[in-house]
Amino acid sequence: MKLPTRLIAFIFVAALLVSAVSFKDASAQTTLSDEQVQRISNNCLSIKNTLEQLHASDALLRVNRGQIYEAMATKLMDRFNGRLGSNSLDTTGVSLVTSSYRTALTTFRTDYQLYERQLSAALKIDCDKQPTEFHNAIEEARTKRNKVHSDVVALHQYIDDYRSAVNDFFINYERVAGAR
Amino acid sequence: MDEAPKITTPAESEVTFWDQHRYLLMVTITIIASICLVVVSMTIYNLSGAAQLDLSRPGYQSVSDKVDDTSDIDDYSALGPVNKTTVEEFTKLYDIHATKAKAVDAFNGDPLNPEVLEFAASPNE
Repeated sequence: MKLPTRLIAFIFVAALLVSAVSFKDASAQTTLSDEQVQRISNNCLSIKNTLEQLHASDALLRVNRGQIYEAMATKLMDRFNGRLGSNSLDTTGVSLVTSSYRTALTTFRTDYQLYERQLSAALKIDCDKQPTEFHNAIEEARTKRNKVHSDVVALHQYIDDYRSAVNDFFINYERVAGAR
Repeated sequence: MDEAPKITTPAESEVTFWDQHRYLLMVTITIIASICLVVVSMTIYNLSGAAQLDLSRPGYQSVSDKVDDTSDIDDYSALGPVNKTTVEEFTKLYDIHATKAKAVDAFNGDPLNPEVLEFAASPNE
């Protein structure tokens, strides 16, 4: 009779664990009031239209801004770093900022992909029949969009940092050249 | 009027089913190979992020003609001397394009806010 007792204990523990995980998942989902659910269902079509417009305009923004950010690295930063290097000058400062800028650019690309996929997934949900799932998907897309904005802010900061690094280089360069 | 015995050559008797249908086999293999290649290329297209930059997709027609394809950043040569003039030339060029790059605070605002999307809870809740 030992085996059934152990089995029952195991099932009991497993059930507890499953319940705990389910409760955690459920608590992560926002509970909507009846009025909110009704409002989503009523405005389903207009909400989807707004989201589709946002989806398209954000894609255009991604393409246009991405080109500019990429060009800043390839056509300006890399070229200037290359010129300093070809003259055997110290490129540590500018190279460091360029490297950070490129990392931020990669993060921007990845985060935009995640955001776009989430928004596309949200658009596929039938907001009339699944308003809660739709709401949660939009909330998640909102968080991911905010992350993309943070990436843009970081890129702008690195653009400023690179300018400061060039200034520092130039001050140092003039000091060394003046001492000769 | 005895029926003449059917004469078969040794080569004819060795023809297999696949020998008889080799064209069908070739067409089938070609179709399967092309389907596999399409699946692989579509997977790469979607996973690489190229799909998200492809504004020719359905749903993006309204914005596809608004892509700024005039890259007006003048290349700064990676070769040449470094002196006050060339550094100032670079900083001038850099400042112009840095201003343009930072002119748009992209992805700002909160358009996915439930209140903006008209399904927020009413204030008395």
